[in-house]
Amino acid sequence: MDDDQSAEETAFVVDEVSSIVKESLEAVIGRNPYEQKRVNQWVSSVVEQCLGQLSKLSKPFKYIVTCIIMQKNGAGLQSASSCFWDNTTDGSCTVRWENKHLYCIVSVFGLAI
Amino acid sequence: MYDLAKKKAAHLLKKRGSLSSLSSHEVKAKETFAKTKDSISTVSYMEELGHHDDIPRPAVQMENTYQLSPTRRFPVLTVTSYLQEEKYEPELCRQMTKTISEVVKARVKDLMIPRYKIIVIISIGQIRDQNMRMGSRCLWDETCDNFSSHTFKNSSLFSTATVYGVYFE
Repeated sequence: MDDDQSAEETAFVVDEVSSIVKESLEAVIGRNPYEQKRVNQWVSSVVEQCLGQLSKLSKPFKYIVTCIIMQKNGAGLQSASSCFWDNTTDGSCTVRWENKHLYCIVSVFGLAI
Repeated sequence: MYDLAKKKAAHLLKKRGSLSSLSSHEVKAKETFAKTKDSISTVSYMEELGHHDDIPRPAVQMENTYQLSPTRRFPVLTVTSYLQEEKYEPELCRQMTKTISEVVKARVKDLMIPRYKIIVIISIGQIRDQNMRMGSRCLWDETCDNFSSHTFKNSSLFSTATVYGVYFE
């Protein structure tokens, strides 16, 4: 029973992380159009809010959060990541979000300590 | 085996300059055993790292810092060589991002920096008069974790490559 509990507490739970990310995006960007002056601040806020929520989970993880915000203009974007880690304990979660004027891709990587 | 491990734990704690008495050494040793699922794993961590990969390792004293300069070479060379003459095409670039990320990861692994986990992120995008912003923040240990990144641009596409190195305690 102890083993199960500790495994649950120290695993990277994708659903939990993905809901945290979606909430941050809704809160910071919401329905705003792409504004060059504000986008810098949006990226910082989204990322910091995600990190804050993740650290509140109090799990023994190091986190890397990346955010890409792109104006909707018909341009294409491809992104890939390759990771050298421990498959049993580490994980990643990528959330693609959009509104009428912009795309947003947030990736969270969690590495167990 | 327990006695031997306990002696080694006490020795290691002494080496670190800990001033605690022997009784608290016992308490500390017991706590460590309770966390790991198997007492064998504590002996193995003191001798040789990387034996029991599936058994969680207890904490080890931290060592070196990630060297930024060697890595900085790789994203530049790989990304530039693969993308110099390319035009943006969705299918091709999809494959290209995966290939480049694998190649960069392999080259960083070749550096053989022990006890580091590597994350490589590659993005390739089309240039079409749009504006975009990329940012990242990390919750880690500043003394031993670091990253390196590079951007490349030609007439029809741009590419960013970022490599993160995280120390595994």
